[in-house]
Amino acid sequence: MKILGVKSLERISEEFSRNIYFPEGVKVNVGMASCGIAAGAKAALERALRECPAGDSVEVRQTGCIGFCEEEPLVEILAKGKPRVVYRRVTEEKLPEVFRDYMEEEFNKKLILCQMRDPRSVLEEDRENPQEGVIPLKGIPFLDEIPFYAHQFKIALRNCGYIDPDSIEEYIARGGYFAFVRILAEMKPQEIISTIKNSGLRGRGGGGFPTGIKWESCSRHPGERYIICNADEGDPGAYMDRSVLEGDPHSVLEGMMIAAYAIGSTQGFIYVRNEYPLAVKRLVSAIKHAEVLGLMGDNIAGSDFSFRVKISTGAGAFVCGESTALMASLEGKVGRPRAKYIHTVEKGFRDGPSNLNNVETYANVPAIMLKGAEWYAAMGTKYSKGTKVFSLVGKVKNTGLVEVPMGTTLRQIIYDMGGGIPRKRKFKAVQTGGPSGGCIPEAFLDIQVGFDELTKVGSMMGSGGMIVMDQDTCMVDLARYFLDFLKEESCGQCTPCREGIKQMLDVLTGICEGRGKEGDIELLEEMGSMIQKFSLCGLGTSAPNPVLTTILYFRDEYEAHIQDKRCPAGVCKPLFHYEVDGKACTGCHVCALKCPQEAITGNKKEVHKLDQKKCVKCGICYEACKFDAIVVR
Amino acid sequence: MITFKLNGKTVQGEEGQYILQVAQKYGIEIPTLCYHKALEPAGMCRLCTVEVFDGRRTRFVTSCNYPVWEGMEVRTDTEAVHKGRKLIVELLLARCPEVPLLKELAKKYGIEEPRFKKEKDDCILCGLCTRICERMGNAAISLTGRGTQMKVDTPFHIQTEFCLGCGACASVCPTGHIKLEDITKHAIKPIPSEYDMGLKGRKPIYVPYAQAIPNTPAIDRSKCIHFKTGGCKICAEFCGVGAIDHTQKDEVVELDVGAIILAPGFRPFDPSRYDAYSYSKLPNVVTAMEFERILSASGPTMGHLVRMSDHKEPKRIAWLQCVGSREMHHCDHPYCSSVCCMYAIKEAVIAKEHSGADLDCTVFYMDMRTHGKEFERYYDAARERHGVRFVRCRVHTVEGVPGTDDLSIRYVTDEGNLHKETFDMVVLSVGLETSPEVLELAEKLGLSLTDSGFCRTASFAPVATSREGVYVCGAFQGPKDIPQSVIEASSAAARAGALLSGARNTLTKAKEVPEQKDIRGERPRIGVFVCHCGINIGSVVDVPAVRDYAKTLPYVEYVADNLYSCSQDTQDTMTQVIKANNLNRIVVAACTPKTHEPLFQETLVAAGLNKYLFEMTNIRNQDSWVHKSSPKEATEKAKDLVRMAVSKVALMEALPEAALDINQRAMVVGGGISGMVAAKTLSDQGYQVDIIEREPVLGGQAVNLYRTWQGEDIQQNLKALVESVGRDRNIQVHTGAELTQVEGFVGNFKSTFQAGNTRGEIEHGITVLATGCYEYKPEEYLYGKDPRVLTHQELDRKFIDGDPSLKKIKAVVFIQCVGSREPQRPYCSRVCCTHSIESALHFKKANPDMDVYILNRDIRTYGERELLYREARQAGVIFIRFSLSRKPKVTAARDCLEIEVMDHVLQRPVLIKADLLALASAIVPYKDEKLAQFFKVPMSEDGFFVEAHAKLGPSQFATDGVFLCGMAHYPKPIDESVAQAEAAASRAVTLLARKNISVNGMVACANPALCSSCGVCLEICPYSAPAFIQKGPFAGRAEINPVLCKGCGLCVSSCRSGALNLKGFEEGQIIAMINEM
Repeated sequence: MKILGVKSLERISEEFSRNIYFPEGVKVNVGMASCGIAAGAKAALERALRECPAGDSVEVRQTGCIGFCEEEPLVEILAKGKPRVVYRRVTEEKLPEVFRDYMEEEFNKKLILCQMRDPRSVLEEDRENPQEGVIPLKGIPFLDEIPFYAHQFKIALRNCGYIDPDSIEEYIARGGYFAFVRILAEMKPQEIISTIKNSGLRGRGGGGFPTGIKWESCSRHPGERYIICNADEGDPGAYMDRSVLEGDPHSVLEGMMIAAYAIGSTQGFIYVRNEYPLAVKRLVSAIKHAEVLGLMGDNIAGSDFSFRVKISTGAGAFVCGESTALMASLEGKVGRPRAKYIHTVEKGFRDGPSNLNNVETYANVPAIMLKGAEWYAAMGTKYSKGTKVFSLVGKVKNTGLVEVPMGTTLRQIIYDMGGGIPRKRKFKAVQTGGPSGGCIPEAFLDIQVGFDELTKVGSMMGSGGMIVMDQDTCMVDLARYFLDFLKEESCGQCTPCREGIKQMLDVLTGICEGRGKEGDIELLEEMGSMIQKFSLCGLGTSAPNPVLTTILYFRDEYEAHIQDKRCPAGVCKPLFHYEVDGKACTGCHVCALKCPQEAITGNKKEVHKLDQKKCVKCGICYEACKFDAIVVR
Repeated sequence: MITFKLNGKTVQGEEGQYILQVAQKYGIEIPTLCYHKALEPAGMCRLCTVEVFDGRRTRFVTSCNYPVWEGMEVRTDTEAVHKGRKLIVELLLARCPEVPLLKELAKKYGIEEPRFKKEKDDCILCGLCTRICERMGNAAISLTGRGTQMKVDTPFHIQTEFCLGCGACASVCPTGHIKLEDITKHAIKPIPSEYDMGLKGRKPIYVPYAQAIPNTPAIDRSKCIHFKTGGCKICAEFCGVGAIDHTQKDEVVELDVGAIILAPGFRPFDPSRYDAYSYSKLPNVVTAMEFERILSASGPTMGHLVRMSDHKEPKRIAWLQCVGSREMHHCDHPYCSSVCCMYAIKEAVIAKEHSGADLDCTVFYMDMRTHGKEFERYYDAARERHGVRFVRCRVHTVEGVPGTDDLSIRYVTDEGNLHKETFDMVVLSVGLETSPEVLELAEKLGLSLTDSGFCRTASFAPVATSREGVYVCGAFQGPKDIPQSVIEASSAAARAGALLSGARNTLTKAKEVPEQKDIRGERPRIGVFVCHCGINIGSVVDVPAVRDYAKTLPYVEYVADNLYSCSQDTQDTMTQVIKANNLNRIVVAACTPKTHEPLFQETLVAAGLNKYLFEMTNIRNQDSWVHKSSPKEATEKAKDLVRMAVSKVALMEALPEAALDINQRAMVVGGGISGMVAAKTLSDQGYQVDIIEREPVLGGQAVNLYRTWQGEDIQQNLKALVESVGRDRNIQVHTGAELTQVEGFVGNFKSTFQAGNTRGEIEHGITVLATGCYEYKPEEYLYGKDPRVLTHQELDRKFIDGDPSLKKIKAVVFIQCVGSREPQRPYCSRVCCTHSIESALHFKKANPDMDVYILNRDIRTYGERELLYREARQAGVIFIRFSLSRKPKVTAARDCLEIEVMDHVLQRPVLIKADLLALASAIVPYKDEKLAQFFKVPMSEDGFFVEAHAKLGPSQFATDGVFLCGMAHYPKPIDESVAQAEAAASRAVTLLARKNISVNGMVACANPALCSSCGVCLEICPYSAPAFIQKGPFAGRAEINPVLCKGCGLCVSSCRSGALNLKGFEEGQIIAMINEM
């Protein structure tokens, strides 16, 4: 069938919302995003399909990720009239047990992550709450009662984990495409742009440029206009966009279509990393489904508007996330940035006016259009509105994706949601904004997340990477690590970035290897400052951030490396050694057993000895000691 | 226009310009490494970074690609900018520590050693090479790899076919990193310059040679990258006036003409066909044409004489004569190329002038053929004064000396001794040949050619081809030198002109010239035009500043600057400006007046101004070109020059150009073949002619000549000529007449002659001197003492008369150079060798058993006459060579003449018994001093008249209106005499056809009040312009005839009383200029 208006959408919505919320029999949703698959979800899904005992009445489906990566594979089971329960760490072996647990209504707390109070998305407030009237389970927390979800508010991730990403109907059932189809019938392009401008939506890719203004200026330049979606998520440890593409590809397509209609474009491109095969697969199928329903192609939903989207896969160059490099790559050229003195909204892809936003930005658009600018603008800080997805990783208990309103403090994210630092270690810094972001020390943990707020403390929002570091992280080594990454990823065109990063890295490596000398810090500062000012693209201008912020906040660590030839965190191998703290050692002998070099000796219940000559500083003993008796000196 | 602030100063740029372009315009230096004006800026090196303040914040942007916008504030000189640039230079220096460009930059920024880890690269990754390759439409190289791995590379690191080897990448590379041989599979070699014989490269856009006409560059489509790839077109962008049009196509143009003149020239013989000379193998074996280029100041070595293999100065050079001439091998030619002996001597002498007297120059020859005017003298001087060595031997092989670049030659001397010598260079004196294209053309035109591939002509019609209306001149008619080519050119023009004389002036359009404004009494209103000459001046001199400065000078009413003042549109604008602003004096500050003054003067005339109200000052050749590195001072100098020009032009006045009517009648002195042909030619063009002949009959020396070298019957032809002159109503013949008085000058001669008792007077506009020569009567070899000893003319008379005594002769001897090439008469008489051989053959044909000897010093059968020489040898004529010091001895025996001569082969004297001795006696000029005086024409030591220019004006005198032809110029055979007679007439017609002439306004003028009657001016003037006033109060003082004056200034500078002044360079004007310095 073809969608010809809101009516046809409503028919689909009605039919499939029953399927989502009120299944006839039992429904099993297996989280099948990359994170879930990595944790074993695929095998679990296959076993579920194979072995589900109840036959016809059990329906096993895949969904995206609800974000709690720590607890994957996550399997949600629901049946009419029964609570909707999410089971944690459901591996293939545990599947029958979990299934039995639900069917026989045992509800073993150990297996369960949470129960659902209201699985509706933000777009479906007028729809009947499917959990209303269901008797909640005692002693089992609701989703919003888990600290990890406590502060979250899901707009971009609204459908992830709740629908089958390969089902356009389920997307429609949760309010999808309503915004777009209504707009086609009712709104003028300028009205859309006004709405987006009023919402205060800023680019989620990291630049934070006001989306509405970008659309507006693109729409004003003559020529064949292009809509481009930047799905070249390259920051190490960040996977917000992947999650959206894998869990809810239609939200991105719909966002692009709205943008296309607003700007006056008929051709869109999604530039996605080839390292995201699942995302590519789901995008391909989503585009196909949209075409089948007449939501993409010529005369969409019976209107005059036509739009098509092509997928282009990138070869994994970090710099291709930079808009001009991305467009060069789209054109089939080498992915290298050019000066943006003439903006891409004027002359971008094939020299046409091009609007480029990232995945998360587009995913926000349908929600804004449906709920209104005021609704969106009500969330967040003065200049940063709405919510932001962060991938919370590193030395934090609960890793995963979190979507929080702008203005949430770093402390809330790291401690309340992330559960703080494991193993009683001390928090040291949080790195935001990807490899070229900055490191924020404890003193600034109470700042609210927002574009300008993070910039103020020398870091940046970036696309939403958030890496938490504890006392065992050497800040000099960290800076060196990121710079090494950036050296590899620099396109090499401009002198400051290519030569500057290389030489900065050389100085940093020297410091980490004990060859640091007086003046190195100042030299790094001098170079960093020049590279920031003189580089051609965003990669170069932000590349010195990790070094400059670590110097700013952890200068003493640099000085310890250079002056005392000591690495306080015990990371830079030439600059520390392990010792056995005689007072703390209980003689449990675990360290001696684990040491691959047999460097630790000692009788049980006696203080052990560590032979420095044999020690290779692998750190296994340090990790293994439960009494903190192995110390870094 | 966009106005913004640059370092605090308000500046203007154009929409779409980048900061760097505007900054360069305002002379603000911004360093760049990756910028090239032919390429889109890429902003890669970041060295050109500047600060831009947009009203809210300061940003660092690259000036090369940041477009200017209204109201922006740019700073190029802040501390942050300087520090950043310095660090960039330091980083690049660490990358490429040995690259001179960076060392220099580092020095400029005060960096001694980079603080960073040094690498050993020599590529700064500016990307110029890859961008220009892309621009070339090729992209054979690109930047591969990422970040620190980035480098310039070809696909898969291999040499490609796709690279066209154009070299653009290497040419833009600032560090020398690019090695073409790493990139391309094609052999890398420059495009050989045709003009420099491949010894030097040229560009795909080129002017074939400095004097090429038109002197505009052409694009070689076979080499231009645009025509291969569709890319590039950089030239079109660079051309300031948009003159380049890549879409032009060859056109076929059809012309309706009444006559065709063929002057396709020759091509030098290509010795690479010849293994023995190793020309293709050994670099130091060069052709004479190549050697000419090596000697030339504009040549591949800038005139520095070096050999090509190692650019060392040669110590010994050998010339091998007759390469491709006088040879019967399959790749050779049997004819003599006529010019090679002389050019080899010239090259040897010039080589010695270049490299010093100790340069050893040796010419290996067979016969030294210096038969042209003054050539023998040159040969003698080369041998005796310059020490050029001449060895008579035809060298068969040139070999390389193993292990060196030297060359070895083996030769045998007359004495039979074998020698081996080593030379640094060998020059092959290559001959002339007709190119295949010309042969093809000749076939198309249906022309009859000689066996040697030259155009066949008859002696009495030397430029007429076998097809009516088609004429030939130059080397296609037969190998010849410049003077003879120029003579023939005029001759062909005369023949074509005679054919078309009825149509003369029917297609010409009179130029409309506005009436000349009378500016007398007007205050000077000066217009100053300053030229940028593209970038020639504009890139060094601040032209707008000079323009603005000119505005401040006295009397200057209008100033302007032009990109190219000489372009047609600028000329039109100038005309308008002069009229609109009522200007009455013009100064153009531009290039050289030598080439451009006439153009601007024409513009003045078009605007109704006298053309002398103009002054041109050269701020290019004398300023911007020579002061390239000091633009500030150059600008000041340009101001000085303009100031001087303005001060002079203010004093200029309108100069009249005297107009002079030309009497349409011509007078020819001399009624020989030359005189008659000249008269006939003039008559054919419609002019009245008087012939003055001293003898009672017409015909001159030809009366006694038997056959031409081509075998034509001279008497028959002469008779026809005399009859046609007699019949000609335009021609008045005065025989037995002698000139007694000549008055007047060009256009208005009045000549008086005496013929017997009658006295005649002719008024004529021009004069042709064709007074000829006569045969020398020898005083040696028993001439006049024994009746069996005859001169050529006497022998010919016998042939003409069919003298029966000739049949009895069993042995005949010819002796050459009787009276020629002797100390008292050092010239070669040119015709005698051919004449003797022709006569010898005549004897042999009549009686093949007759013994015929020709005793000679060199056989000079130039051109295709060489074929006669060969025929004579084949017929058994015996040639014995003697030297000036061992001349033959003739004694009269009872029944025969005994001639003893040293045989050069046997090296012993031989005695020949002959019945007849023919002496090839010299041709002697009349040395008519009186005639020379009448027409004020010079005469050489030998008594021949001296032409205006040996090469370019062989048939005219420096004195206007007087022309020269025939043997009065130099001994020559009939065909050459006829050609020159026609040439002289042709030159004369250029005057006669104009009916009147206007002469230059810049002439001397005398103030008789100051004249002291010393007469120095009369003596010194080469043109007889000054004369004493005959009557009136100033009688006896000097006056200048402006018609005769050439404006050379000799008289002015020699006038002690200051009575003479040169108009346009008057003392007051010069002093005014000096005062402004």
